[in-house]
Amino acid sequence: METQSASTLPSPFAGLKVIELADDAGGEYAGRLLAEMGAEVIKIEPPQGAPTRALGPWAGGVIGPDNSLNFWFYNSNKKSVVLDGLEGLAPLLADADIFISTLQPKALKAAGLDLDRLCRTYPKLIVLSVTAFGLTGPWADYKSSDLVALAAGGPLNSCGYDDHAIPPIRPGGNQGYHTAASFAHIGAMLALIERQKTGLGQLVDVSMHEGLAVNVELANPYWFYPKVNVQRQTCRHAQPSPTQPALFRCADDRYVYYTLILSEQRSWEMLVKWMDSKGLAAQLVEPEFADIKYRQDNFYQVQEVVECFFLVHEAEQMYREGQEAGLPIGILNAPEDLFADPHLQARGFFIDVDHEGIGPVKYPGAAYRFSSMAEVPRTRAPRLGEHSGEVDG
Amino acid sequence: MQPASSRTPVARRGPLTGVRVADFCWMGVGACATRLLADFGAEVIRIEDRNRLDMPRRLPIYKNEVRTYGEEDANPDPNKGGLFNNYNRNKLGVTINMRTARGRELADRLIASSSVVTENFAPGVMERWGLTYDRLKQLSPQVIYARMSGFGHSGPNADYRSYGPVVQAVSGMSHISGLPGQEPSGWGLSYMDNEAAFFNAAALLMAIYQRNVTGEGSEIDVSAVEAGINLLGPILLDVAVNGRSTRGPDFPTGNRLEYPDAAPHGVYPTLGEDRWIAIAVFNDAEWRALISVAGDPEWAADPGFADQQARFENQDALDAHIAAWTRGQDRYALMHRLQAAGVAAGAVQSAEDTNDHDPQIAGRGLFFELDHPVIGEARFEGTPIQFSRTVQENWRSAPLLGEDNAHVFKSLLGVGAAEYEALVAEGVI
Repeated sequence: METQSASTLPSPFAGLKVIELADDAGGEYAGRLLAEMGAEVIKIEPPQGAPTRALGPWAGGVIGPDNSLNFWFYNSNKKSVVLDGLEGLAPLLADADIFISTLQPKALKAAGLDLDRLCRTYPKLIVLSVTAFGLTGPWADYKSSDLVALAAGGPLNSCGYDDHAIPPIRPGGNQGYHTAASFAHIGAMLALIERQKTGLGQLVDVSMHEGLAVNVELANPYWFYPKVNVQRQTCRHAQPSPTQPALFRCADDRYVYYTLILSEQRSWEMLVKWMDSKGLAAQLVEPEFADIKYRQDNFYQVQEVVECFFLVHEAEQMYREGQEAGLPIGILNAPEDLFADPHLQARGFFIDVDHEGIGPVKYPGAAYRFSSMAEVPRTRAPRLGEHSGEVDG
Repeated sequence: MQPASSRTPVARRGPLTGVRVADFCWMGVGACATRLLADFGAEVIRIEDRNRLDMPRRLPIYKNEVRTYGEEDANPDPNKGGLFNNYNRNKLGVTINMRTARGRELADRLIASSSVVTENFAPGVMERWGLTYDRLKQLSPQVIYARMSGFGHSGPNADYRSYGPVVQAVSGMSHISGLPGQEPSGWGLSYMDNEAAFFNAAALLMAIYQRNVTGEGSEIDVSAVEAGINLLGPILLDVAVNGRSTRGPDFPTGNRLEYPDAAPHGVYPTLGEDRWIAIAVFNDAEWRALISVAGDPEWAADPGFADQQARFENQDALDAHIAAWTRGQDRYALMHRLQAAGVAAGAVQSAEDTNDHDPQIAGRGLFFELDHPVIGEARFEGTPIQFSRTVQENWRSAPLLGEDNAHVFKSLLGVGAAEYEALVAEGVI
């Protein structure tokens, strides 16, 4: 294996070429994860643009293929090449390292694409298929969406409110597709490492449905072992049987998350000391509450006093003071709260990405930092066909 | 394939063979990340403390033994916990008492023979043991040092305590989830424990890939909160670009979408107690298919449902009709009828359902079984990726506490018999 110095290599992915044929957030996010590490990701689009360009929200409220914030979010650092029909695809694949496809089996067939044959034609190519249900099986051509995927895959069953007359509620942000992208990224990396050893590419078949079926945390072990199903609860872990609320409303109508674990003596003492320092521990300072059993038997009293304590303070203060006291309390931030967070600012987390006519826009930085890799500059998503002339096709 | 009864470590297969990992990770988030390395051939050696058992070893998720949550096992058998088994298959397990000088010396030797070190303690713990990146490089020059924590290893809140739900709260993931005008429904699981683990696993693979090219190691800093912010999705840019407030009465939108104008788009009741089906209709063709499956009811001809835009604006009325129609139907039968007609629909499935009633998952062999000396045969979550070349070898269930001490310390590190006995006698291992 040829050895190069990291100082001459801006990123280990700088030489990698990725061709992306993706029309949902799963494949697009997978492409972005590779692009933001320095790979050249070329997004292939039809003349009218990828369907994700037709999704809001819109920059400045102006609808148009180059104004979709949905498209911006998942396609930064990529190039856009327009192809009318897929005849021009094969020449692009000849020197590509990874081909991302989100087409389900019937759509592949309709497009005249045979992924197995592509692997045979280009033995070094890694074909990264990211689909709703995978390329095989009785549901392989079933339609899906973020909501439908979260439902059938399992996470939705754990999310919602205490009141089960209300249906399970989808957690926000496209997490079905994001889960698919996480596994697509891992699959691509494993295949790249395999190729470093063997020189050979392969077909990597990622199923969003299965990704979600193993992204349910405790629900699986509770079924594997005691054979019980967990029941959803308002903003806290779904459990085999109900547990106390963990969401506390504060004086400014914002919330903090805190799990009151009555059996943990140390955190109990920290909590009471903190509440007492504000003169609000009420009867919880009485000696009988030092006993776990007594606390558990008088749980409703405890819960009420703690609820009152939070209700008369602002959420930010409760978050900071609670953490300083050593308690795992989290404030429920809204997205707009994050940009001014001193911790994120000190870490330089948000990155300004230039958009002509708008100015710098704050994007989230990468979730990982490497001492060995230079930072790859972040660039905006491409305009439709922006790089059509640059890429040989 | 070795006989199932054998638990003796063997040469591994997969793309990560030859990578030895000194794995200080614990809890779910750490163990879930290194599980991926172990699955694909890395020799992952879990380093545990007999005096401070990993929480998944203590949590009483036991086979055939239903307990109420919080009903703790005062004296848990560390080898009986299902959660630990779930997260630690394919790994080796050793015990080292890091509060002893000899324990730390032994850990140094293990690190010197490894090329990856992983940890997810509170920031400062590894430093207390002298295990900085500089020290690790002295021990193992090409080392990759992967560190994961809630808030990252720099910044004023680096020491804040966190676990999945706190990460979900602080990153904004909880706030963006729920019905409009109500308290957030947030998350019913530590989604961010899993996702932070996946980000960390990907980062480890990227560093290994780079090292294979350059010969140089890396220190990796993964912050779960920063991973969570990345997962907020396009709403974050709506806020950044348009100054949109997410604290109004119109956000979040529950099971409905803001974009595109999908309708119906929701979760509807079906036959049985707390049984539901998700249905998502994005265009006129899908609407006509849905209505045809419903038997072309009269209400569907209402001008309020004439086109996608109208249906989107009249979702309250539309959802009431759809719910009245789905109620009383079998969720799977309805799902298959709708899918056959070209409508995206999925039964809301529990873990029981995905494990036992899902032919798609069964057909692709996602879940698998391994035997365990104390637990017996148990089920495991596989990897939702099918490779045409790369092999996932499931060679063993999770290690018993200290199960591989002799193999690792004697065979791999060359600790002599007398020294080994002394380490045992002194409580170092």
